Amino acid sequence: MIRGTVVGQVWATRKARGLDGQTLLMIAARDADGNPSGRLVVAADVLDARTGDEVTVAFGSGARNVLRPGAENRDLLCDAAVAAIVEGEG
Amino acid sequence: MFLGRVTGTVWSTVKWPQAKGLKLLLVRPYRLGDVAPGAVRAGGEASEPTDDLVVCADTLDAGPGDDVLVAFGHAARVAVSEKLAPGAKPDVPIDAAVVAVVDRVEIDREAGR
Repeated sequence: MIRGTVVGQVWATRKARGLDGQTLLMIAARDADGNPSGRLVVAADVLDARTGDEVTVAFGSGARNVLRPGAENRDLLCDAAVAAIVEGEG
Repeated sequence: MFLGRVTGTVWSTVKWPQAKGLKLLLVRPYRLGDVAPGAVRAGGEASEPTDDLVVCADTLDAGPGDDVLVAFGHAARVAVSEKLAPGAKPDVPIDAAVVAVVDRVEIDREAGR
């Protein structure tokens, strides 16, 4: 997983069927010092994260488990998903 | 997934048979500093992306100048196999695919600082 900040949203009409109905957020990744690394990730969101929110993003099967937990989710078109909205860190 | 701009195409004659008929595109990912606030689709206010090129399969007929979303790994194979043959096993030998041609991007760069 990575940690990042929600900076925006993406919209597309021409897309793969598997993306229908997904909210896609732009996340600015943070580096080891907590500063923006410059890398932008697009992730599916089911937690209703807003611009400015600090979040964690899961990739791969971890991301699919956010959208639909369980072994029977390999049909999902999802490689990144907002896994948590961060409130604090120590 | 990432947001990028299509900069060109790649073609080859020697490849895995399962990859036959797949169009390959070169896509440059946008980085935080590249995307202007309120940037719109290709040709809009967004500046040129600057990151490493990614080669990805295309099933949406995207072309140079288009801004696209690219998925990696299993998600890329799901997108491609569903297009090649509905219900087909996602066994194509690719790890990146264009999954959307982007209409609009809303971004607040200040939120990322």
